[in-house]
Amino acid sequence: MSIHELMFYLFSGMILLFSVLTVTSRRILRAATYLLFVLISTAGIYFMLNYQFLAAVQLTLYAGGIVVLIIFSILLTSHITHKFEPIGIKKMVFTIVAVAAGAILTITTVLNYGFNTVVASSQNPDMQLIGGSLLGYGRDGYALPFEVISVLLLAAIFGSIVIAKKEKSK
Amino acid sequence: MNLQSFLLMRHEIMLTLALVILLIAELSTENKKGIINLAILIFLVVTVVGFVPVPEGSLFGDMYRTSPLTVMMKNILNIGVLILFFQSAEWIKQPEYNNKVSEFYLLIISTLIGMSFMISSGHFLMFYIGLELATIPIAALAAYDRLKNISAEAGIKLILSSALSSGILLYGLSMLYGTIGSLYFTDMGEAFMNTPLQVMGFIFFFAGMGFKISLVPFHLWTADVYEGAPINVASYLSVISKGAAVFIFTIILFTVFHSIAPMWKNLLYVIAILTMTVGNLFALRQKNLKRFLAFSSIAQAGFILLGIIDGGELGMASVLYFVLIYIFTNLGAFGVVSAVSVASGKENMDDYNGLYHTNPKLSLLLMLALFSLAGIPPVAGFFGKFFLFTSAAHSGYYWLVFIAVVNATISLYYYLLVIKAMFINKNEEPIAFFKSGLTTRIGLLMCVAGIFIIGLLSPIFEILRSLSIGI
Repeated sequence: MSIHELMFYLFSGMILLFSVLTVTSRRILRAATYLLFVLISTAGIYFMLNYQFLAAVQLTLYAGGIVVLIIFSILLTSHITHKFEPIGIKKMVFTIVAVAAGAILTITTVLNYGFNTVVASSQNPDMQLIGGSLLGYGRDGYALPFEVISVLLLAAIFGSIVIAKKEKSK
Repeated sequence: MNLQSFLLMRHEIMLTLALVILLIAELSTENKKGIINLAILIFLVVTVVGFVPVPEGSLFGDMYRTSPLTVMMKNILNIGVLILFFQSAEWIKQPEYNNKVSEFYLLIISTLIGMSFMISSGHFLMFYIGLELATIPIAALAAYDRLKNISAEAGIKLILSSALSSGILLYGLSMLYGTIGSLYFTDMGEAFMNTPLQVMGFIFFFAGMGFKISLVPFHLWTADVYEGAPINVASYLSVISKGAAVFIFTIILFTVFHSIAPMWKNLLYVIAILTMTVGNLFALRQKNLKRFLAFSSIAQAGFILLGIIDGGELGMASVLYFVLIYIFTNLGAFGVVSAVSVASGKENMDDYNGLYHTNPKLSLLLMLALFSLAGIPPVAGFFGKFFLFTSAAHSGYYWLVFIAVVNATISLYYYLLVIKAMFINKNEEPIAFFKSGLTTRIGLLMCVAGIFIIGLLSPIFEILRSLSIGI
């Protein structure tokens, strides 16, 4: 087993383990912390694929920004000591059966698909290329989605204002 | 690409402009009534300008496409939103909403921008962003009465179920992208190879869209959200948002997935029967009018699938025609429920007992809308259903049409229950007589006009059919 393979299994194992812990943990702050490890391991996979830019974005935005945001909102809204009720045994059995069936179906379908192995594209994409296509307006240019996402963020701000606005005293 | 080519995007640009103008108005004035009137006026302009013919084409390297068909779809949605704005003016004027008047319009317009981009998308990324822009702000709208538990619950339920469905949809898309290597509709239509993994990706996509259109078995969120959300938001969800999702779903099925048409037709066959039957059976036992209309709108979505299953221009035209009629019809029904709720705060079916004796005009209007939903001949709903059934029969799905007709009969029973309550049932304390404001009356009159005119004016279907050629 080469070191490359070993690292891959390490990162994948971490992703699997911590994803399960995230959804099964009964304390919300712990769940958020486990999520942080999932996101960091995902960044590790990106590094292995030589996508440094994507890995950096994953680390700064997801692991750095979003998890901190989640933790902030947990601290501001809920009681950290609060422990969720354990899930009933019947619910647990049904969930496990459904999830296992779905996972087996998906995994066999993916494994049976003969993907072509591509070797050449495992080079780090040029930063200029990424920047160019983010602002490009021709084919494979992403200027329009980029702009529409800004409208989406604006709309999300309106939405959160509606929910958070204080009612005026009468 | 030059400035002129931006004219192709006039719907989206006009809507964004409307958004900016309203935002500035909100910042500069405290006059809430003025903002309501300004919103209606701006939207009237947007709707009218949308009808100005502009040549078709694509922008941003085929990421954004327009054709006379998509322009017509956007115009249909614009008309619906215009009616909704007229109808909701009186609701939003109530004192409890005094500090969030303009947000209602801002959120509705931003979701409409999302729907327009979604309908015009030629790339799954644009489609997805449009879909999210059309869904996330609605969750805030559903939680508009956030101090009422039921409304906050509706907002949470909507955002959680839409997040789940988006996740499923994206997972399916990732499978398709992994096997095809492109997200452009045209590339994917050509490269679709019908391998098990791609079919699985398609089914995940289908399930995600099923959530948005609330097809059975993905409908569980619908009734709770409609019940908890303010009536005007529920009517927006059931009419405009569902209509837009149906439009893009039809386009994607017909263009991207045309090579597996036999497969998705079988899928639609089963889902259509389930949706119609389950929607109808649950509607039978509802006492709250909002829940009742929610299940009725689930059943109507099942009927729409009869048009999609045809897979050709006749199917496309009958879906468009049905949604156009459905907008007027369902907005009429929701409009009356909203007017009654604003005036009296009552939403249960028993409260409507004897409504005819106190408010004859509203009762007649609700009767007209319910007849149209049930598909009784002189009104437009009949023609809408008629063309849907024709297009399904045209492809040889006679059993499906038979089941749909049986379901239409069942639906007549529960629509008549409401009519019976209004006209025949006795009530010691009926809802007192009230007079709605001018805007509400204009909104309701537009619905009445639509219900009559669209059914009787046969050129409309011919126009829609000529637009659908070549889909």
